[in-house]
Amino acid sequence: MSRDRYACLMILTHGPWELVMSLKLTGFVFLAVVAAWMSLPAGILIAADAAGLEPIAIGQPTRIEVFPTEAKLVGPRSHLHLVVTGHYADGSVQDLTRAAEFTTSDPAIVEVEGGIARPRQDGSAQITVAAGGQQAFASLSVSNFGQPQPISFEWETLAALSKQSCNSGACHGSPSGKGGFRLSLRAFDKVLDSLTLIREDLGRRTNPVSPDESLLLAKPLMKVPHGGGLKLKKSDAAYSVLRQWIAEGCRNDPAETPRCVKIEVFPPSGRVLKRPAHTQQLCVLAHFADGTIRDVTELAYCTSSDSQIADVTPEGLVIGHDRGEAAIIVKYMEHVESCFLTFVKDIPGFAWNDPAAANYVDEHIHAKLRQLQFLPSGVVSDEEFLRRVYLDVIGQLPTLAETQQFLADTDPARRAKVIDRLLERPEHAKFWALKWGDLLRMTNAQMGPAGVHKFHRWIDRAFATNMPYDQFARELVTASGSTLDRPPANFYRTATDTLDAVESISQVFLGARLQCAKCHNHPFERWTQDNYYGMAAFFNRVERKKSPRADELFIYVKNQGEVTQPRTGKQMKPWLPGQGEIDPPADADRRQNFAAWLTAKDNRLFAKVEANRLWSQVFGRGIVDPPDDFRDSNPPSNAALLDALAIDFAEHGFDRRHILRTILNSHTYQADFRPNDFNRDDVKYFSHYQPRLLSAEQLLDAIGTLTDLPEAFAGLPPTVRATQLPAPDLAKHEFLKIFGQPERQTVCACERAGDSNLGMAIQLFNGPLIYGKLRAENNRFRKLIAAGKSNDEIIRELYLAAVCRQPSDKELEASLAHIAAKGDQIVALEDIAWAILNTNEFLFQH
Amino acid sequence: MTNRLILLALLVLPAAAYGEPVSFKRDVAPILLDQCLACHGPKKAEGGYRIDTFERAVAAGDSTQPGFLAGKLEESEAFRRIVSTDKAERMPLEGDPLPDGQIATLKRWVEEGAAFDGPDPKASLASYIPPPTHPAAPESYAATLPITAVEFSPDGQSLAVAGYHEVLLYNPADGALIRRLSNVGQRTYAVRYSPDGQLLAVACGTPGKLGEVRIFKPESGELVRVLGTTSDVVFDCAFSPAGDRLATAAADGTVRIFKVADGAEERTITSHSDWVFAVAWKADGSQLATGSRDKTAKVFDAQTGDLLITFSGHNSPVRGVLFHPDGAEVYSAGTDNKIQRWKIADAAKTKEVGLGGEVYKLTLGGESFIAPAADNKVREYKAKELDQIRELAGPTDWVLAADLHPETKRIAAGSFDGRVFVWNAEDGAVITSFLAAPGYAAAK
Repeated sequence: MSRDRYACLMILTHGPWELVMSLKLTGFVFLAVVAAWMSLPAGILIAADAAGLEPIAIGQPTRIEVFPTEAKLVGPRSHLHLVVTGHYADGSVQDLTRAAEFTTSDPAIVEVEGGIARPRQDGSAQITVAAGGQQAFASLSVSNFGQPQPISFEWETLAALSKQSCNSGACHGSPSGKGGFRLSLRAFDKVLDSLTLIREDLGRRTNPVSPDESLLLAKPLMKVPHGGGLKLKKSDAAYSVLRQWIAEGCRNDPAETPRCVKIEVFPPSGRVLKRPAHTQQLCVLAHFADGTIRDVTELAYCTSSDSQIADVTPEGLVIGHDRGEAAIIVKYMEHVESCFLTFVKDIPGFAWNDPAAANYVDEHIHAKLRQLQFLPSGVVSDEEFLRRVYLDVIGQLPTLAETQQFLADTDPARRAKVIDRLLERPEHAKFWALKWGDLLRMTNAQMGPAGVHKFHRWIDRAFATNMPYDQFARELVTASGSTLDRPPANFYRTATDTLDAVESISQVFLGARLQCAKCHNHPFERWTQDNYYGMAAFFNRVERKKSPRADELFIYVKNQGEVTQPRTGKQMKPWLPGQGEIDPPADADRRQNFAAWLTAKDNRLFAKVEANRLWSQVFGRGIVDPPDDFRDSNPPSNAALLDALAIDFAEHGFDRRHILRTILNSHTYQADFRPNDFNRDDVKYFSHYQPRLLSAEQLLDAIGTLTDLPEAFAGLPPTVRATQLPAPDLAKHEFLKIFGQPERQTVCACERAGDSNLGMAIQLFNGPLIYGKLRAENNRFRKLIAAGKSNDEIIRELYLAAVCRQPSDKELEASLAHIAAKGDQIVALEDIAWAILNTNEFLFQH
Repeated sequence: MTNRLILLALLVLPAAAYGEPVSFKRDVAPILLDQCLACHGPKKAEGGYRIDTFERAVAAGDSTQPGFLAGKLEESEAFRRIVSTDKAERMPLEGDPLPDGQIATLKRWVEEGAAFDGPDPKASLASYIPPPTHPAAPESYAATLPITAVEFSPDGQSLAVAGYHEVLLYNPADGALIRRLSNVGQRTYAVRYSPDGQLLAVACGTPGKLGEVRIFKPESGELVRVLGTTSDVVFDCAFSPAGDRLATAAADGTVRIFKVADGAEERTITSHSDWVFAVAWKADGSQLATGSRDKTAKVFDAQTGDLLITFSGHNSPVRGVLFHPDGAEVYSAGTDNKIQRWKIADAAKTKEVGLGGEVYKLTLGGESFIAPAADNKVREYKAKELDQIRELAGPTDWVLAADLHPETKRIAAGSFDGRVFVWNAEDGAVITSFLAAPGYAAAK
């Protein structure tokens, strides 16, 4: 490649693109370009706030509140975190626990220090809490103070090991343990743990004669070399629990020990804390089957969904670092709750500019942006909008004529009109069938050519006819019969067994990655191993039978067969999230029961998952992101918006086109990608459009459009575009593979890699595909030359085709100068076309 | 008050503070091992600094400052950080500071020239520090301990039982406590009498920290020698049939052979890749059999240390081994709940029996051998045929160790709950049973 070509590139890329472009071609051109290329799509890191705790500004609360107001302290080791909240005239709240004064009516019965009440003898006492001139009261009673209160193995010892992460997947909870010491992952198997801790290797780990000498303490305290390092301090609550449990003789719990039935976390989700308020003490109460309630704040394992926004200390104090939102996930044995908190602060110079809202999407986005003090970017130009919406809806660039027609349209509703037109186009159905082909693992290898074409056509038709999404899901989940006559039955062809079906259905339709629960309770989420096999009971009667016809498989349902939970050996009844076990009639196709629950109008999760997927397809990022990973510890960035979309979706009969239309018409979708001074740091609240690299298929089609030489695929009609391929292995294509076309091995949306790599850079610089199209006799600029067009006209047309806009004066001048300097018109135009398709403006959807 | 503090400070200074110079080997190395090894050893070398050999301890870590520099306290980075008042750098980090006495010892050693008086500056400190004097056994036990070793004396008149920092000698006829042998490691995993009954070898240690074999004169309680000091417990030891050699099996994965007469280490066998639980001699003293957590049993040439054969048939940790009386086969037992018999020539299995729980060390006595198991039972087998002779019942917890004495026809065993049983080997009747935990109040 010539030096001239680089020079040309350098000039052309210094257009209006400085904002997202960082290509600076100096010195070692190639390396510099590659380096810049590699770093392009990286997200902007939010700097962590290293500051310590802000002092609490108590101010003038109109009232204060203490939680709980009443409690029983049972036994000498019982205690209680009192959490104090100040309420203010403007409706705001803040945690005053650190600043409040606590006095007890009878220190001989209850003492309070640092907000924690502890019993001293049986009786009752009232705690008076004072802050900011206000008072609140808590009535506490003490009983069984004189009774022994031995440590519970399950509810304290195992909880303590979980709290210190001894049994995490990276440490002793891994399937083979660490250093010869193996615990069950997050204590899901207490029988095994009891054997391991008390008995394994001749009682090596615990020393009831001299508890402090126990390996179980000495290792994490680093009194004895420990591969995992320092994991326990004597000041930790877990230390006292473990030490006392050993001193009491390492006892298992008596058979009748009541189980924890639920945990309760205060405060409930939804608090907004505004700086200087940025901390929140949590109180975690465990409710036991016998009606007792115990404070387990120090033993519950708490994590933050976003540690750049907020962290939580082992003592349950949430500390906000930056503006934004974080869900604090609280796990106590198999119980999980979360507390969603919003942290806001005043940004100097920020003033809300009250931007117009096109519909409810903008209203919800604006409300969140205003609260967090981000300013939305303005609306993008017609040119950029057109390119963006074409790529999102039909996967391809507009034709020259379409661009010119749109840019000439003066109708104020022209954007809405183009959205409506695009949604009706056959290319829309085919492009979105490609996306679902990924999720449904549609491959030639799995289904054979006949199977692939039929299944693909079925999905294509579902989009073309705008089949309601509930029907779409129902037909897939309950499909039976020949995979050739009933294409959705291919769903059970790719999901080759019961467990694959459970995992695929939950990931695709419920946005839940359930795989962990196959072998053990999910380490961070609500899903238990029982849940997994309870769901499996809906699908284990599905049978797959070969037929004499090639590529045909018969899917049918037996009328018997049950699922056994492998750890407990228990036979599982069909189980539904939120409903529990159900009892379908003996001969029912249980999938019908599942599908009825799944697609019910009031199953909000079902609607949310698809609404979020639609959103993520056009923004490159979900409101929940990754879009197939719905869980407490991955909260939506705008819960109200996702709720609104889901309700709208269900109310409109699960009309996907309606939701897409709503999203595409919003100013949020049509926002400029250029950030302003007040939204530069935002990557998740949709204050501006985030440019993203075209997908492999989009890019190949775009190169075809630019050069007017669409790629043809062997064995498929020449009209089939890359964005319309039924399966990647039906027409293998090197360029597509390099640019991240998934092989469709999994149902995970993550299989389509968004990362850029060196292979891509090499393809774009001097790959055979681009070289071939630039040199081809009948490409766009050669045909224009043949038609007698001037260089000026040719360059204008190249720009319009590539980026839907006219070149700037500077770009035009530079290009003309390059042709003049080169002396060879064809080679110079090759250079220019090459340079254009190497600009970020071309490569990125923006 | 101030005077009293000074007096106290003087009292805790070690003897070395007066007169004789500080010895690295005797005074400094034990402090480094106890206080620093966890973070600055082969497992973890925080800051790139290690203290497990003299050479490393005086060298610099990632900083450019040497750990200890003769005569220069200020430039001795390790010392500087031990006495630092800045919490962020004071060693041990996030732990209690060193006692004043230990700091004074280190200080004097540096001031006196930081001299080395050990055998080899590259050798591990643990290999040459003087054997520790162990804490006294508890006056009365706060809890029972799993009984991990029982052994009859050759005359059958006393039964040695593993205690806490001690070995307890009981009268097997009535369970009366005869003597408490102290200055023993925290846990004892094997007690072996020499064939002439003159010596008692105790394989012991503190889990994760220390292992050693202590050889006592059982009559006087005199400590004769400490062998095979290592960083984790020693699980087994065995006198050769002639009584002139002692083989040890330890958690460091080694099998070692010592001369009993002078304690010289003859051979170290490192063939196992994990803890070695058990070691046994062939009747003619020519071979050793071992069992390991690496899921194998092995046979070695006792003269050369060469590996003769590996048996992998348990596919789980092996806890007990024994030579067949004919010498051509080996019995091994383990966590697969089986006793298996196999040929030394080709490791081919010739017989097996399944038990109801994991099986521990196997012990030969006369024509039979016994096997303690986690199904709360002890079983006696014909040593030649592997036919069960008798099942000894009584324990209500896992039986971890057992021994038999053919002359007095007694079998003894100890279980996880701390109880020792002695049976009449002829009829299986219980002769006596007691908790081997002096002073333990059972009502607790």
